[in-house]
Amino acid sequence: MQGQSQQQAYDRGITIFSPDGRLYQVEYAREAVKRGTASVGVRTPDGVVLAANRQISSPLMERSSVEKIHKADDHVGVASAGHVADARQLIDLARRRAQGEQLRYGQEIGVETLTRSITDHIQEYTQTGGARPFGVALLVGGVEDGQPRLFETDPSGTDYEWQAAAVGGDRDVIQGYLEEEYREDIDIDAGIELAISALNEPEEESVAAEAVDVATITTEDESFSTVDDERLESIVAEIDTEEQDE
Amino acid sequence: MNNPLSQGNGDPSPYEPELGSLPNGSQTGDDETVNKTGTTTIGITTDEGVVIATDMRASLGGRFVSNKNVQKVEQIHPTGALTLVGSVGGAQSFIRTLRSEVNLYESRRDEPMPIEALATLAGNFARGGPFRAINPILGGVDDEGSHVYSIDPAGGVMADDYTVTGSGMQLAYGLLEQEYEDDLSLADAKSVAARAIKSAVERDTGSGNGVFLAEVTDEGVDIQGHEEFDAVI
Repeated sequence: MQGQSQQQAYDRGITIFSPDGRLYQVEYAREAVKRGTASVGVRTPDGVVLAANRQISSPLMERSSVEKIHKADDHVGVASAGHVADARQLIDLARRRAQGEQLRYGQEIGVETLTRSITDHIQEYTQTGGARPFGVALLVGGVEDGQPRLFETDPSGTDYEWQAAAVGGDRDVIQGYLEEEYREDIDIDAGIELAISALNEPEEESVAAEAVDVATITTEDESFSTVDDERLESIVAEIDTEEQDE
Repeated sequence: MNNPLSQGNGDPSPYEPELGSLPNGSQTGDDETVNKTGTTTIGITTDEGVVIATDMRASLGGRFVSNKNVQKVEQIHPTGALTLVGSVGGAQSFIRTLRSEVNLYESRRDEPMPIEALATLAGNFARGGPFRAINPILGGVDDEGSHVYSIDPAGGVMADDYTVTGSGMQLAYGLLEQEYEDDLSLADAKSVAARAIKSAVERDTGSGNGVFLAEVTDEGVDIQGHEEFDAVI
């Protein structure tokens, strides 16, 4: 019995490796991400699209109170999957770092630099006694030196750069869809369409326009803007017609 | 962390160096014991790059020449240089700190630090820090072109086409106002800068003993000292 209780202990302390070199708490944090609804990021030559599924659990809930996409700075947006409260902490860190860059150097923070400062912070929570890792994955999208960039952060504190990526529930299905359908030379509207179609992929019926949250950061104005419901509805309607045609 | 600049939430302060900390209290030592570069230092921008020129004298209280062969322009960036003006100790420490900041920035981000970012950072340090009694010129070249900034002891940062700091500034400006032109070549700018230093060296007691000339281009920084002016005018 003693052997068993020792084995169990490997998944309790965040700072303890299992004998085969794994950090179970970090892996459990990845499971927490999978329990969240999905977010998708698509990079196009004209800018980055971030889209998130924000299903609500009751028709009485105000949909606007479910936030999945956030502005970190004028030129950077962040979409999340997993624990929303954990995401908010990281997004506030990102906002402070973005403003700190302005104070220190008088310039906009690069998307890669900002992502690195978020993942450095996440990593500290995989190595500190008494801490819990962040149960959230982020997609950080923005424009840097005129170029669109899209990064993912993972609960271990690793960052990856993507052309198109999904995080959260049904990630594998959505990522598979993106791998099939992604083209490098699409415009921003096609990027929005692809992102919404990808979010729809695991569902039987297509997601209602009001259940998705979409934002873009284009190379033209280098600024974060949310896509309004009217435009979303027309894009969703278009996707529905295309599906019927098939 | 007792540092008043620390923000208490783990965020780095934009007003202090990444490495080391800002000493508290004011500059120690009086005029008679602190080495100062009374100094004339000049920065001129051209399309081909930046020219920086300095004299070579260090003095105590502006009344005794404590060194006749001081290099008062130092490379602090692959394509940028800073002059030493004011307290020698303050300026040397300022240069060491900025060099390490430039190296950290470049190794972390895999791209050279823009000169404007370096000027902002230098202004923040001058304002909040122990580098009080300094008044340097920062010159550099980046993707945006050639830049010259003057940085004052209170952290003021001002960009210009050409600028002068130090005790001989009025003499040097006198020549520059006549001779500076928008389309100077790098070689002509070197000659104009050397002549402006010569004017100051002749009449300002804080400046003297020759000229150092730095050429900053997108290729790098080249610094040469000349005890005689004839070779460079």
